Amino acid sequence: MRFKLLVTLVAGLAALGTAPAWAHHSFAAEYDSNQLITLKGTISKVEWTNPHTYVYLDVKDASGKVTTWALEGYPPNTLKRTGFSRELLKIGDEITATAYKSKDGSNTGAGREFTFPDGSKKFLGPKGN
Amino acid sequence: MNTRSAVCISSVALAASLLAVSSHAQNASRNEAAKAYAPAKPIPRTADGKPDLTGTWQAGGVSINGEPGAPPLHPLPPTRYRPPAREPIPYQDWVKAKQKTLTVLDDPTSKCLLPGVPRIVSMPMPLEIVQTPKEVVILYESFRAYRRIPINDKLEHPDDLTPTWMGDSVGRWEGDTFVVDVTGFNDKTWLAGLGSIHTDKLHVVERYHLNDDDTLSYTATVEDPGALTKPWVTGVVLRRPVDVRVEEYECIENNPDNDHIRKAMELQKAKNE
Repeated sequence: MRFKLLVTLVAGLAALGTAPAWAHHSFAAEYDSNQLITLKGTISKVEWTNPHTYVYLDVKDASGKVTTWALEGYPPNTLKRTGFSRELLKIGDEITATAYKSKDGSNTGAGREFTFPDGSKKFLGPKGN
Repeated sequence: MNTRSAVCISSVALAASLLAVSSHAQNASRNEAAKAYAPAKPIPRTADGKPDLTGTWQAGGVSINGEPGAPPLHPLPPTRYRPPAREPIPYQDWVKAKQKTLTVLDDPTSKCLLPGVPRIVSMPMPLEIVQTPKEVVILYESFRAYRRIPINDKLEHPDDLTPTWMGDSVGRWEGDTFVVDVTGFNDKTWLAGLGSIHTDKLHVVERYHLNDDDTLSYTATVEDPGALTKPWVTGVVLRRPVDVRVEEYECIENNPDNDHIRKAMELQKAKNE
């Protein structure tokens, strides 16, 4: 019931004035902005696609077990315009990424800050909201 | 309180606090920014003397505003032009009841469907206006939408309209303002945020006005006797993004988000039960 009331409140506050972080779906419905995790792993796949890009990271735990994480990011055109070119994502490179955990329990996250092997940093996606 | 509600509540609280402090903060930032305003200059005009709206425009998004707290790659000078004050959409009671049954999964854009008017203008991607004496065409990157706006001083629509996502547009010049009348909508799009539905009686009047600092003021007056109690006015000030052109956005290519959202909702529901 509380949630239903909020739907109305949020809809009531909605206005055209602010462009959403993402064009096509709600951030908060899919990702938990209170759970920003840090992942260190190697890039195993890149999907330079719309409506979102995905970077797959193979993350090894202390026992050596590898888990693949899918990190969602801005659309390709937006990344390019913020100086994050596709060429920065090299298969096999070890990077550190922060990401907001998916609420569906899968190894999926909304990618945030990527730190590349040379120490440079770029944002894959928006700040949680 | 569950996490989902907590996130929603904090969003609402944040929005409320922003509203409360906005006038104070805006005054301060306006004073600070006053010196940085671009000097007024004559607006560009076409050969027939109309304001020349041609070019690429964008309402917002990280590619022109930058990340929170960080400067954008190509900073734009502040503008003294402001969009209309934010007002809640004045909905009829049946809509408010219906909204209680809607979730983000019902948002047509989450399925890559066209956002309709005026919502498409707020998308964080560029649009391009192509202007001729007889017709204005708007090409939107978001959702690969386009609109043909024939110029017609009587604002007459064709008489064979079938309802569509983006409606039927006709325009005319009223002084230096380009006025567009849009009708013939289906009832499947949302006007702005979550649950902002409407009926096929939707009628939108848009005004495009080129400002003397190379910004474009956009306002939309939204009428819908089937869903609203009175007209709702909304709008944005569009900027010219630097080094940006409208490019392809094939939204349906790789869109697993709704599956994740549906599963997250099921998990939350199970937790609540």
